[in-house]
Amino acid sequence: MSYRHIFVRIFSLLLIALSALQFSVAQAGEPQQVIRLATTTSTDNSGLLQALLPHFEKSSGYKVHVIAVGTGKALRMGRDGDVDVVLVHARKAEDKFVKEGFGERRFSVMYNDFVLVGPADDPAGVRGSRDVGDAFRKIARHKAPFISRGDDSGTHKKELSLWKKAGVKPEGQWYREAGQGMGKVLQIAGELGAYTLTDRGTWLAYQEKLPLRIAFEGDPLLFNPYGIIAVNPKLHPHVNHDGAMALIRWMIGKEGQTRIAAFTLHGQQLFKPDAKADEVALLKP
Amino acid sequence: MKPEYHLQVSQLCKSHGRRLILNEVEFSLPKGSCTLLTGENGAGKTTLLRILASLEKPDRGRLRLAEQSWQPWRKARRMLQQRVMYLHQHPYMFDGTVEYNLRFALGSRVPQRDAEPLIEKALRLIGMESFRKTSARTLSGGERQRVALARAWLRSPQVMLLDEPTANLDYESRQRTLELLQRLRNDGMTLVIASHDPLHFEGLTEQRLHLQAGRVEAVELNMNPATQPANVILMRRDYA
Amino acid sequence: MSALLEATEKALELLISGDEALWQIIAISFKVSGSAILIATPPALLIAFALAYLRFPGRRVLVSLFSTLLSVPAVVVGLTLYLLLSNRGPLGDWRLLFTQSAMVVGQIALAFPILVAMGHAALQSADKRAWETARTLGASPLRAFFVVIRETRFGLLAALLAAYGRIIAEVGASMMLGGNILNYTRNIPTAIALETSKGEFAQGIALGAILLLLAFTLNGLLHYVQGKGVQMS
Repeated sequence: MSYRHIFVRIFSLLLIALSALQFSVAQAGEPQQVIRLATTTSTDNSGLLQALLPHFEKSSGYKVHVIAVGTGKALRMGRDGDVDVVLVHARKAEDKFVKEGFGERRFSVMYNDFVLVGPADDPAGVRGSRDVGDAFRKIARHKAPFISRGDDSGTHKKELSLWKKAGVKPEGQWYREAGQGMGKVLQIAGELGAYTLTDRGTWLAYQEKLPLRIAFEGDPLLFNPYGIIAVNPKLHPHVNHDGAMALIRWMIGKEGQTRIAAFTLHGQQLFKPDAKADEVALLKP
Repeated sequence: MKPEYHLQVSQLCKSHGRRLILNEVEFSLPKGSCTLLTGENGAGKTTLLRILASLEKPDRGRLRLAEQSWQPWRKARRMLQQRVMYLHQHPYMFDGTVEYNLRFALGSRVPQRDAEPLIEKALRLIGMESFRKTSARTLSGGERQRVALARAWLRSPQVMLLDEPTANLDYESRQRTLELLQRLRNDGMTLVIASHDPLHFEGLTEQRLHLQAGRVEAVELNMNPATQPANVILMRRDYA
Repeated sequence: MSALLEATEKALELLISGDEALWQIIAISFKVSGSAILIATPPALLIAFALAYLRFPGRRVLVSLFSTLLSVPAVVVGLTLYLLLSNRGPLGDWRLLFTQSAMVVGQIALAFPILVAMGHAALQSADKRAWETARTLGASPLRAFFVVIRETRFGLLAALLAAYGRIIAEVGASMMLGGNILNYTRNIPTAIALETSKGEFAQGIALGAILLLLAFTLNGLLHYVQGKGVQMS
């Protein structure tokens, strides 16, 4: 018996202990009561989900684990089967997600809208623009600082499509990609006196703490619909599909929709319920 | 009368890397004898002792312990472990009291009730009863040497190997150590002492092995050591 | 300036009033990092011991490998583990992503090189005579192993504290692997990152204060323990 013997002995003991641990982890790893929801920072940071989900958890017995990231990352997690259901706002990407078979079907849940915010003195003179394209062109012409999310989120995608519609290629010193969440980007814009595109929900949550004002709003192009999609169980058999469907049914059902409408921040309604009757009917047992 | 040998070594070879340390070493230790091992620095004294204490593995060689031949090394090692104690030149004290260090030698299988008298006996042997609760790391070199001897004694070995037990000790400490060695010898223990200072051990040793260039060069036999002092109490560790 | 004062005031209030959400986050931090250290330490110690006491081919390579791993950024560790643990990854079947277990795994990966490298240094500096003396005094190899551990306990404790200090304050890997799920995988660092991004500085400051306090305590302990270690030898 030397160092070597004892080493082998202890090490094999440890391996046994570790495999036992691995076993117990595998056992307890994923109780089917947990629903993993990947969603955008806008729904989570605004406090909407915290207002909704406890009611769902109470009535259904499920526990919802919310992972708040950008829309791009959320869809990617759904595609890889790392979550059970996604709640996002990027219509095109959502449709593609479903078409490619990663999700079963997209259900409309609610919408809010985007607003263009900027410094109170409005250096680019955006206020009173004809439409959102006009507003974006003015920013580009004045080379007024603009902070982009730059994180492949729904808001980022929306912003890029608006630049395209405006016929402007955003590049140069004045256009900065932050690669951060909405709240962070609003803070950066506030610090730098820049314009940025934000969803109204996050804006309402933050406006008090920011030196920014709404520069432009109300264009139908700024409409921001949210969809919820269960990850395809045929592709990822391990996902909690029953839980995902229960959550979807609740969200687009009467209680979820009422609570979405009732959710306010600083006295303002953030999200307008938008469930479609035919889709709700689909889910009736 | 043919002497009874405790340990017989032949053809013992050991090299460290390319350097040959021990080259066909041969010698015998009569039972109850005290052997002085001399040689210049690097002659292989420590290596030889460490092999006999089973801390190093020889390249080859034969070993007879208690008239029994032990091959292979794995078996020999177990025998050596049980019967041979080795004392470092600078004994290592575990971080704890003197008592903790002594208790260690008894192992956890000896219950405290049985350990207590043994520890007391060991402390008395080295005349350090009052140091029982002293932190062993704060002891002087001579005190450490004595605690190490007591610790080894508690293992009740048949052979004890001592590496430079009197080096760096002042006169008084040395005398105390020598006195202790004399007691162990009278007890029937076989001793091997590696030292630069043969004079220190005059009257204690009856044979002298001189190592030179990895070989035992000279064997001096002196079968008549000083007469045993009459007042030495025979100390034997008993497992009452 | 007044904003900072106001946030600090609110932070103190949160801490003192025992805000449940806040303490939940703190509890998760300690639970996850504690488990990671508990699981990582025994095998790390064994490897450190093997590196210090065994001579085997590839030993030097391993030693330098572990000291290289020390400098791998947490985010890279997080990303690598994310790709491994993702359902698409080779370990996807374990279903660990976005669980506390995933965070524990990530923190183990971060703590391990520290434990091995510092543990190795501590054991290396230990006196070889400790092992030999224990063995010649009849200790079994297992007992002798624990003797060496005991004799180097201050150095090893320093390794433990350093590793704990790294993982308790680490944000990148925890965020990626745990997903920052409320009441489940939201620990102190990820909560600070989130609260600041939301502009809720009060909670950020409160949690930051806890981390700072912890860092000071760990550092103080570390100095004390290292001082002890020096004293001993």
